[in-house]
Amino acid sequence: MALLITCPNCGSRAYTEFWFGGELPAPPPAPGAPVDASAEFGRVWYRRNVAGLQAERWFHFAGCRRWLTVQRDTRTNAVHAGD
Amino acid sequence: MPAIDFEGRSVPIHAGDSVASALYRDGVRILSRSFKYHRPRGLYCVSGDCAHCMVTVDGEPAVRSCVTPAANGQRVARASAWPSPEHDVLVSAWWMRALLPVGFYYKLFAKPRWMWPLAERYIRRVAGIGPVDTTARPGRILRRNHHPDVMVAGGGAAGLAAALRAAGRGESVLLADEGAIGEKVAPGPTRSAIAKLLASARAHPQVTILEHTRVTGLYDGPLVIAAGEGVAHWIHPARIVIATGAVEQHAVFPGNDLPGVWLGRGAARMAGVHGLAPGRSTVVVAGTTEALEHVETLRKSGTVIRLVVAPAAIAPHVPSGIPVVVDGTVVEARGGRSLRAVVIMGPAGRTVVSCDALAVSLGFVPRDGLLRQASIGIINGAGDVVEPGCTVARAIASGEAAAERPLSAPMSVVPGVGAPPGGGIVCTCEDVTTKELSAAWDEGYRWTELLKRYTTATMGPCQGLLCHQHLRAFVVSRSPAGPAGAPTTARPPARGLTMEEAAAGAEHAIEQRTVLHDRHIDRGARMDWAGAWKRPASYDDPLAEYWAVRRGVSVMDVGTLGKYRVCGPDATEFLDRLYPVDVRTIKPGRSRYGLLLNEAGHIFDDGLVAAMGANDYFVSATSSGADAAEAWMRDWAETWRLRVHIVNQTTALGAINVAGPSSRDLLARLTKDPVDNDTLPYGGLRKITVAGIPCIALRVGFVGELSFELHHPRSRGVELWDALLAAGKDLGIRPHGLDTLKLLRLEKGHILVGQDTDFDTTPGKIGLESLVRMNKPYFIGRSALERLATRPPQRRLVPLRFAGTNAPDEGAQLMDGDRHVGYLTSSRYSPALECGVALGWLATNGGSGPVRVVAVSRGQRRDQGEVVSAPFYDSKSVKLRG
Repeated sequence: MALLITCPNCGSRAYTEFWFGGELPAPPPAPGAPVDASAEFGRVWYRRNVAGLQAERWFHFAGCRRWLTVQRDTRTNAVHAGD
Repeated sequence: MPAIDFEGRSVPIHAGDSVASALYRDGVRILSRSFKYHRPRGLYCVSGDCAHCMVTVDGEPAVRSCVTPAANGQRVARASAWPSPEHDVLVSAWWMRALLPVGFYYKLFAKPRWMWPLAERYIRRVAGIGPVDTTARPGRILRRNHHPDVMVAGGGAAGLAAALRAAGRGESVLLADEGAIGEKVAPGPTRSAIAKLLASARAHPQVTILEHTRVTGLYDGPLVIAAGEGVAHWIHPARIVIATGAVEQHAVFPGNDLPGVWLGRGAARMAGVHGLAPGRSTVVVAGTTEALEHVETLRKSGTVIRLVVAPAAIAPHVPSGIPVVVDGTVVEARGGRSLRAVVIMGPAGRTVVSCDALAVSLGFVPRDGLLRQASIGIINGAGDVVEPGCTVARAIASGEAAAERPLSAPMSVVPGVGAPPGGGIVCTCEDVTTKELSAAWDEGYRWTELLKRYTTATMGPCQGLLCHQHLRAFVVSRSPAGPAGAPTTARPPARGLTMEEAAAGAEHAIEQRTVLHDRHIDRGARMDWAGAWKRPASYDDPLAEYWAVRRGVSVMDVGTLGKYRVCGPDATEFLDRLYPVDVRTIKPGRSRYGLLLNEAGHIFDDGLVAAMGANDYFVSATSSGADAAEAWMRDWAETWRLRVHIVNQTTALGAINVAGPSSRDLLARLTKDPVDNDTLPYGGLRKITVAGIPCIALRVGFVGELSFELHHPRSRGVELWDALLAAGKDLGIRPHGLDTLKLLRLEKGHILVGQDTDFDTTPGKIGLESLVRMNKPYFIGRSALERLATRPPQRRLVPLRFAGTNAPDEGAQLMDGDRHVGYLTSSRYSPALECGVALGWLATNGGSGPVRVVAVSRGQRRDQGEVVSAPFYDSKSVKLRG
């Protein structure tokens, strides 16, 4: 298997055991804190879609059913490090 | 003697025959008629690259006969010719080609408009390479997954060397080749070298070899798809070596596609492998040293070599006794249905040489369709595909290096271009001539990608193997500087892939079953997919199921619902942030219906939040959204770092909904616990024991009648189901399925998320503002809803009523006079109300929209409808509180 993801709970596993959760978004505003509408709109709707190293979320549905963040090179699928 | 059935007559086959070689031995020279002009086509590349030899085999069109092994009883036929491929009057298209200019289908029949449908029907009939058999048949093709360390595409010297080197290092290797390995190569040193490598590879336990398996495409993952005999291979390798070799350069001159004109390797293969001469007298164009081997091979097969045309460097090596033209070129091939003569232009001028075969070896073009699809660094090329025309020794060294090379440095191979093509057919798959490329250029299509799209050159079955370099050379000759001549984008499939092969494995979907599955089957339920679940759509009598719920008692297996226990010190805080409803005010023993919104304020799921105790909740989600809801909850629990446990009980718990006016009476027969309306009112929940089985009973109202949802340990599900059905016999109990459920909830105006909602449905658009507490300081989607509130929705989901016993189709379009104003998402005939009831999206443009509309169903059926208010049934919702 080429695209392998190291799950902190389950070890090195094939990507087919995971659901892709997209780019790691900017942290959401704290609940109840005042919200800058345009910044919030951008956070919800815009993605960077980089060609290169990207921090992204994967959900290990066929294993521990926990989320993890990985650094993946979108050009080569090389997974570099956990979060 | 074994034989194939060729258009009604028997053609004998010899050992090792391909379909093409059997037909050729039998005297068949025309194997197809070309796509547009119906020009006769015979054997040309004999390597599975060109489209000339495509025939229909056992009902499957577009089969390359030169690489398809002949088998006893095969039915073989040619296509798209009238009255026969030998005498095809449709070739008149060629003589009238001035009337069929490039892009003619965009221009010629476009006006008047009624012309086009007629023209299209005719064009569809005469063009192409045989009709597709559209009769459905069960999948005969299996999908098989492989997980090798190294995948090698191509079993030539380079591919085998790469496989052996990787295997020698202890890696597992899968090697695929589209033919029988080594058998396409004419006898000689190359064939012997391949045989030796093949023997070692076969003996190596780490190497798996798939023959007659076409590698058709590279996909992300990486995933390599290869189509074999009855198997679609899904290969998930760590590294890939592409060693698909090279194809001999396609020569472009007038008459270059006549039967009798061969690529040198093709003629040599037919002669050396099958012992069949390409003709009685042959002219050889020997632009490569390999062509000298071909001369020998051809002579042995019994043809007379009339003439060899060779450059000065090669000419001295031509066997003595054969006339040689030094530094000449073929400028024309003459003949009607087959080659009669070639015209050679040499230093001494033009000569016409009569012959019935011409073998052309001008050089090599990489067979790089797969390599050019690659954009990731784990893919290496080896051998001819990166060094076209290299020696066997070079190929072996290159293969070994490719197996060793580290995983960095993406490869990109952009071969140079040669001289622009002369007159003749550049793209034989799609019948594009040099003249047509010029015409397209003059119309302004001055880039390889534009010429490709406008003329369709390189878009045929060979995917540009023969003509891509000529297309680029043509552009570069007219636009030498700049990027216009860049290679076109290569995409899968590089080799033909049938629909059946592409769909292989689609029927292998994992089926989730509830514990009651066999009970449903025993009752004759018609099962249907609901996400990954199989659920009963209906039992024997849908109307009886319906009336059982409305007038008596019924049970439904709702074990597929998403079910979660959410508890921990922050559980209330957590759920209150997750749901737009007020979770803090849900008292223990009570539940509340809530929508789940994403951060854009759009509905993606719905369900109940039920308080079991302080900071202890039982939460449900839709059957199809169960997994996504769990992932969603876990994501936010982590983001907020709240102290909360989420336990997915979806498959641990079964659930049966007991519904109908008599449901309380039935439960009372099976439990000692109180189930009266004060102890267990609508919206309440309680732990009770039914038929000795511990249950959580929730008073729910989805179907609009008194009902109890019994969540129980899955292992006791069958016991509970049987007990309920047995105890309710005298009450006329019977189970209901999804079809009935969808009608029951529609009568109540309840939405189904995903059926009545779209990806951008806010609560306001479907009239569920009351489920959103904007006075809460925070919930997911709140800020988006606040922003959206400044703009009234342009469309709303509204309840509609239709007179008559025949409700409009689901999906029927809504018209207000001549104006299209929306469509229906749910529509059924309501037996209780004796009219059609529906939910539909209606353009309101910020106001209330039309009240009377017409629903247009299939077949232009029109129904007058009226926007009303929901619920349709029991509008005060008295019954479900009963």
